Amino acid sequence: MAIQREQLEADVLIVGAGPAGLSCALHLANLIQIHKASGARPDLSAENIYVLEKGRELGAHQLSGAIMNPKALAELVPDFEKSAPLDTAVTDSAALLFTQKSSYRFPITPPPFNNAGNFVISLNKLVKWMGGLVEAAGVNVFKEFGGAELIYEGNGIGGVVTEDKGVDKNGKPKDNYTPGYELRAKVTVLAEGTRGSLTKRLVAQKKLDNLNPQTYGIGIKELWDVQPGKIKPGFVAHTLGWPLSTKMYGGGWIYGLSNNRVSIGLVISLEYADPRFDPHAAFQTWKAHPFVRNLLEGGKLVRYGAKSLPYGGWYAMPRNYVDGGLIVGDSGGFLDSQRLKGVHLAIKSGMLAAEAIFEALKVGDTSEKTLKLYKEKIDHSYIKEEMWKVRNFHQSFHNGLVDGFVLSGIQQITGGRGLIDPMHARPGYEAYHHIHGRPARERFQGDGKLTFDRLTDVYHSGTRHEEDQPCHLKVLDLDICATRCVEEYGNPCQYFCPAAVYEMAKQGSGLRLKINAANCVHCKTCDIADPYQIIDWTVPEGGGGPNYEGM
Amino acid sequence: MKILVITEQRQGKWNKTSFETLVAAQQIAEATSGTISAVVVGKGVSAFADELATKNVSEVLMVEHDLLENYTPDGYCTALKQIFESTKPDLVLFPHTYQVRDFAPKLAATLGKGMVGDCIGFRKEGDKLVFVRQMFQGKTAADVTFIGAAPWFASFQSGAFRADSLAAHLGGKAPVNTARVELKPEDIRTKPLELFKEAKSAVDLTQAPLIVAIGRGIKAPENIAQAEAVAKALGGEIAASRPICDEGWLPMERQIGSSGQTVAPKLYLALGISGAIQHVVGMKGSRTIVAVNKDQNAPIFEIADYGIVADIFEIMPALTDELQKAKG
Repeated sequence: MAIQREQLEADVLIVGAGPAGLSCALHLANLIQIHKASGARPDLSAENIYVLEKGRELGAHQLSGAIMNPKALAELVPDFEKSAPLDTAVTDSAALLFTQKSSYRFPITPPPFNNAGNFVISLNKLVKWMGGLVEAAGVNVFKEFGGAELIYEGNGIGGVVTEDKGVDKNGKPKDNYTPGYELRAKVTVLAEGTRGSLTKRLVAQKKLDNLNPQTYGIGIKELWDVQPGKIKPGFVAHTLGWPLSTKMYGGGWIYGLSNNRVSIGLVISLEYADPRFDPHAAFQTWKAHPFVRNLLEGGKLVRYGAKSLPYGGWYAMPRNYVDGGLIVGDSGGFLDSQRLKGVHLAIKSGMLAAEAIFEALKVGDTSEKTLKLYKEKIDHSYIKEEMWKVRNFHQSFHNGLVDGFVLSGIQQITGGRGLIDPMHARPGYEAYHHIHGRPARERFQGDGKLTFDRLTDVYHSGTRHEEDQPCHLKVLDLDICATRCVEEYGNPCQYFCPAAVYEMAKQGSGLRLKINAANCVHCKTCDIADPYQIIDWTVPEGGGGPNYEGM
Repeated sequence: MKILVITEQRQGKWNKTSFETLVAAQQIAEATSGTISAVVVGKGVSAFADELATKNVSEVLMVEHDLLENYTPDGYCTALKQIFESTKPDLVLFPHTYQVRDFAPKLAATLGKGMVGDCIGFRKEGDKLVFVRQMFQGKTAADVTFIGAAPWFASFQSGAFRADSLAAHLGGKAPVNTARVELKPEDIRTKPLELFKEAKSAVDLTQAPLIVAIGRGIKAPENIAQAEAVAKALGGEIAASRPICDEGWLPMERQIGSSGQTVAPKLYLALGISGAIQHVVGMKGSRTIVAVNKDQNAPIFEIADYGIVADIFEIMPALTDELQKAKG
């Protein structure tokens, strides 16, 4: 039986309340306010802007290092320094090379690692603060509602359907069953963050892919309270080398926040050969390096989290405008793949989207003909300027660090062109080699003080889901998991998931995939890194997911 | 405007939301200079009808039939359809109860009408009635109006109107009229069984003084009987860590931990539980914790008062024997 859904209409519907989505909402509300004050037609109102957020609270699903370049925020909120929770300005930026026992500081910090003028922030706090401004501007923000389905219309989209609530694990309605709303809008902005589940479908459906497929990394982060005097607020360090091999692309970060709080993490490109590589274990191993160990000794783990990030750069950005729809922020690949910075680009993309939407609403045409303005604005902004310079950067590291430094060095002096332009990329999951019967390595246990196993870390992510609901991780063919994948790749999902969601359980003489969906921290790694691309991450019941307080 | 209010009673008791809906009807009647017929459905409901007659309504319609003694969606729909045909109401109001959620949408649909469910208020705008209902879990309210010809159907949320503001009948008593309906047994496709109340939870682990909890170490559902034997010999309740309940080997209400129950019994016997933090937060307040696990590095031993590094399949039968012996 077809479900009758309640329908609501908005001018603009923004899916996702991260920096991109909220910037879009705030900038548009500001433009509308000026428009109204001038008495111009047509009548527009910020109340007709809706924002959906799947998290329990605004900011609950926000995770980043984070170092923010403040230039976009300064455009959005000119007096931001008065009230924004910026934590601390960067005072010293170091690049460190780790070997197993020692660390060496580069005498001159290479420019990509130089962060003078930037701020160390908690993205969670920044987004909460932005959300306050957005709500004060009259925008409707709906927490605990996720975008579950796209409504296709014309050569684009006409809105989304939110997720059904109160469905049990077998798909049957419970007492509190509420079908999802059908939200229709003149413009729908996909601001879902990295590997957006609706964005993924739209890109596939409308063939919006660019030259290169999007490639991703995974960032695993812990927040620690350390002993006083261990680190200066504003000291930021990036580490290269151990424990990652030169064939892997990634590195660690150590950011000093105020009040003896430290953000540490490891970013690793999701394109590696060994399907049994465990990013969480690599991060824990990295923490045991003398430099990090000394920093954390006597301290306490406060919070844990993980998130993927789109690395692909300019040539991997999907077309970001369709009839009635725009893609902003991480969903659209707005990330500087050399510096791995995306917050300012996300904010800027949201603002440019707002400007294009504002023009479209004024002329009453929200087809791609008018919304194309968004793309034109991007091309004339510092988004392109920054991303164009490093358009081939990530691709150069396909064969490891040595090639990468040579190629990217040449790009550096040729304005990003390098030897080949455009350089092509393959999807990261194609990099896996078959295991050829090699046995699995023992799982990382942790000492419970400095290093932790995954379940302990997951506990510190604060993640929580309604237990009695359908599994939101749809595996399209469980037979592959139990047969081909066991043989060929040894079930990498058990290793790449930083939240211990996937587990191969014994069944008779074989194995079967068991999914602990309630552990999920919404990082989307499984959707990206599965070798057969049969895992589909969909939104769980709204409100479920991590609680990244302070992250 | 002619308003019909369908009240709800069951087994000699009112559903109180009926009176709240009557208050809504009185206010709508006042705003539209309308009349109210309060409808009571069932068998042997004259006492209910008499009580309704003391309220400020134009009439009470008593719909009685042997086949209406117990609620069935078919019985109610068939009967009420006939009532609508004979009374030709403009607006039909229901209390938004589980029973109404069951039959009212079907009733409206068979008449080709829409229904505005779960309203929290109304407004009169010009000659239009606007109903207000919550959306997005109460974050916003939507105004809804009817299009098309009467009758219109709406239900009001429990608590939306205050029953104590229900106005009494001015002249003492409204007339009670009996409405005849035709019902045949074959009209009713469902057979109501005994009424039962769903137990909130079959077991309250938080009150159990002795708990025997099993974890992954139990390996297979057929082995649970051995742990249950220990629990029985001990006079305690069986509980489990999350993987066991996830597999459906024990019901979810027996899950201990951050996503299950938090317990603090006198004795907590952990069999084959590794002691992941998610489990430990649910039982670390236990007075005495005894853990049995093959792996001597299992974190459960860090919080256990007594630890046995052994195979639970050796310990469980031995323990059961000894407990039974001790009890004599």
